[in-house]
Amino acid sequence: MTNVTIDPLTRIQGHFRLSTEVNENGVITDAQSSGMLFRGLERILVNRDPRDAARITQRVCGVCPTAHAITSANALEDLFGIADQIPKDALVTRNIMQSLNMIDSHATHTYALWLPDLVNPAYRDVFATADNMGTMLWRELLHRFAPLSYKIDGISIPPGQAYVNAIKEKRRLHGSIALIAGKMPHQMSTIFGGVTYKPTVADIGKLTYYHQQLMDFVDKYTLGIDHSTWLDNTYRASSPQRAVEFVTGHLQELTESSMSSNDFSYSAGWGDIDMLLAFGSETIGEDILGLPVSFKFDRTGTYSDPANIGFLSYGAYYDVENGDGYDPLKFGQNSFHKAAFITGSLEHKKFDHMKITEEVSHSFYTGEGDDHPFDGDTEPVRNADEIDYHGGSQSKYTWIKAPRYEGVPCEVGPIARMIAMQEPLTTGLMNTFSDNGHPAVNTYIRMVARVQEMLILLERLIQWVTSDLDPDGRFSVPIDMSMAKDSQGVGLWEGARGALGHWIKTGTDSKVSKYQMVVPTTWNASPRDSNGIPGPIEQALIGTKVSAAENMLGIDNSNPTGILHTSRAYDPCIACAVHTIDLRQKDGKGERVFDIV
Amino acid sequence: MGELENTDFLSMDRRTFLKVVGAMGASAFLGLHRSEISKALELSKTRVIWIHGAECTGCSESVLNGRDPDIFQAIQKLSVDIAYHEMLIQQQGIFVDGELASTSELNSEIMLDEAIEEGGYILVVEGAIANGPDGTGKYCMYGERTFKELFTKAASNATFVLAIGMCATYGGINSANSEIVDLMDFRGVAFLRRDPSKGMLTELGIDRPVINIAGCPSNPDWVLLTLAAVILGKIDINDPDPILDEFKRPLVFFPENVTLHWNCPRRGYYDIGQFDTEFSGDACLWKLGCKGPYTHSDCALRKWNGSVNMCTQAGSPCISCCEPGFFDNSTPFYKNVQTVAPSNSETDSSFPSNENNEDTITPAAIGLGATAGATVIGSAAYAARRIVQKDDNKKEMDQ
Repeated sequence: MTNVTIDPLTRIQGHFRLSTEVNENGVITDAQSSGMLFRGLERILVNRDPRDAARITQRVCGVCPTAHAITSANALEDLFGIADQIPKDALVTRNIMQSLNMIDSHATHTYALWLPDLVNPAYRDVFATADNMGTMLWRELLHRFAPLSYKIDGISIPPGQAYVNAIKEKRRLHGSIALIAGKMPHQMSTIFGGVTYKPTVADIGKLTYYHQQLMDFVDKYTLGIDHSTWLDNTYRASSPQRAVEFVTGHLQELTESSMSSNDFSYSAGWGDIDMLLAFGSETIGEDILGLPVSFKFDRTGTYSDPANIGFLSYGAYYDVENGDGYDPLKFGQNSFHKAAFITGSLEHKKFDHMKITEEVSHSFYTGEGDDHPFDGDTEPVRNADEIDYHGGSQSKYTWIKAPRYEGVPCEVGPIARMIAMQEPLTTGLMNTFSDNGHPAVNTYIRMVARVQEMLILLERLIQWVTSDLDPDGRFSVPIDMSMAKDSQGVGLWEGARGALGHWIKTGTDSKVSKYQMVVPTTWNASPRDSNGIPGPIEQALIGTKVSAAENMLGIDNSNPTGILHTSRAYDPCIACAVHTIDLRQKDGKGERVFDIV
Repeated sequence: MGELENTDFLSMDRRTFLKVVGAMGASAFLGLHRSEISKALELSKTRVIWIHGAECTGCSESVLNGRDPDIFQAIQKLSVDIAYHEMLIQQQGIFVDGELASTSELNSEIMLDEAIEEGGYILVVEGAIANGPDGTGKYCMYGERTFKELFTKAASNATFVLAIGMCATYGGINSANSEIVDLMDFRGVAFLRRDPSKGMLTELGIDRPVINIAGCPSNPDWVLLTLAAVILGKIDINDPDPILDEFKRPLVFFPENVTLHWNCPRRGYYDIGQFDTEFSGDACLWKLGCKGPYTHSDCALRKWNGSVNMCTQAGSPCISCCEPGFFDNSTPFYKNVQTVAPSNSETDSSFPSNENNEDTITPAAIGLGATAGATVIGSAAYAARRIVQKDDNKKEMDQ
């Protein structure tokens, strides 16, 4: 048994450590994921004016500040009792800002953070087994996805074309958010009661123009074909099977025309998603398309026990069809992203936020033990000697807590949302894996779901901009500060990385007495719970082969691509995930009763 | 144009600077110096090591939003080698049975150590440095060491330190008041809030020149243009203080005698005494808690995200995110500043408190010089109105 530890995992937000045990067959048999930073941000909110929360909580994360601003505003609007009055056009404006931020985050993750994994030098050797085709493909991958300051064998590799262009599009997306939000990161216009800015007709024109430029990028680089054709045949396919047939048919055409020429360039029609779809999967690439080699990402990052995993989405995007207001507790039922809890056996269940719990048995906090993990105060470990990351899976080993839904660890993010909305391409590909005897959820489908969600949102976004937003509408309602006395509020939403919840309580002085955030990476990068059940990333690592393409060229513990691809595919954000205050939940019997320790 | 090549732009006064850069575009401005570099060729690659402590990556995100120059232009035109940046590199820390594995081409910890040992780089710090618990720094770990240890090593070998964003400069959100602020003990590079004696460099006894780029996040222009000026030798890095204020911020971006309020897009409404009392209006935001009159930044002129917008233009009161002491200085954000009692008076002497009566918002506080006669008159007119409105303000505050 060999210990293989990644510390730090780069190309993510924050400080993240993955410690694994790898057996003589190159299979990961144990894993601990550790958040390495303690920040105490929720404590900072205590004793402050609750209205400040929508600004302060954004400082949790510079990648997804818009999601924190909106979630916080939702919690405050619940606290002030005005959620049912928020003007429709404020809600439309928030939808536009959130979708832009989600698209931006997905594009950044895909192009700048994850796709550079494809040019790990291990794949030069893997693809070399496919002779000339493999060599040409490797060159194309480097040409597209090489990151900044990259060297192989002492030779500098210039940053890839897709990488450089995507960063320019990211800038355009941030500019689009700033247009209606003041600035980005840390946007300014989302506020309790609505938004501070009234978008103008000129803003709608500019947003439409920015959108056209984004779609030019998508058509040219991401897809290689027109996005409407893509979405008509996947997102709007009559069945999951038809969506998969369209994609495999499209890839078959590309493959046939390129196998003789070995031309995998953009001009030969290979969009970035085509590269991922065809070469990323053994089932799609090798078994169905007959390619000689693949990355085999569909065999990594799988869950072995459906009883120990679920998929969770709180739902997001305001339903603006019915005019003003929203119900903070029925969030997501009629909205674009559905609220759902999906079991490890892919059974859909109704979501109830009262079933969320958190515990600290393996986190660097003091607190009561396993029997009643939600009783008792949670305090950070104060003795430096107790902060030790080498104690193994029985010890405390992270600053991230362990949230559970009905006691089950849950994966959140694009894959959970795409399953919740039963997106045809995602579910079709999952069925294809299952039908071929492989796990449906894996590293490959996580990445495909993220890109597909980005494409769907790009289309939805422009409807909010051009059809729903009325510059002559109302954009905010006043609040009554007296409502902040002894009150509470819950804000549920979806950030780019998944389910995001803020809970707030105020005292008799109308100041914040408790504030709690349960964020996407807290779910995904959770440690073990008191029953010893590992968190989602830990489960996904266990069973994954450590080296490139399923140890195709042998075991190389010094280049553990299996750990890197699997954990990065969750798009971890550690600054969000580390926090200090425990959520103590009373048995409310369906009522809105919660307490925050 | 010829004269420009010899111009030390961070020493220029603000108006000249904006005129020059505004007229030519910063990219062209920087491009002018490229021939200078090529001719000299003494400056080979300038190496930049960029490290992240307790932070949100918002400043890295912001720098990627830079244009004219953007990050790639800066790298090419200024011959910058990003020797380390955790979000942008291919490498990661790899340990096999506790030992560093592979080489610097795969292992970021080896890459980082090699770059530090080579010395002679600019160190960019994003994020605060954890000192807790008990001075161990173990509240923030990074590759089998504390971030404090990494910072110590990286700062010791750097020729110059650029701290970007509020966390790295003054502690930022990490140092905002809470019951556990002393336990966590986060520090900025050269300051804790407004106090230079508690900066981490002082704590460690390391003497290195520092420039602070404030802001939450920092504006990409502030970062990239300062880096450019350093690389082009326009700043004497051994003695940068003449172009900095007392908090080590470049005066050109954070002018001592000018505040955001001076050039605010809503300034006209202030001058005629029209104030919004609810959000999503068009008038001056001062009664909604705007801290623009106390904020020394060029946001109102430079704006954000390619100059498309800025906070007050978007109807959001300025939260003074580039003043040392942020957040406690400027919270509660939505209370009229004259009636706010600062939550920690030692940190925010420049901010008016309850003891300062309403007349604190004098022309001096707003940053008006004697030349701005017309606005002084406007302000005086407003001062007269304020006396009438005082009772209304009180009613609002009592809510």
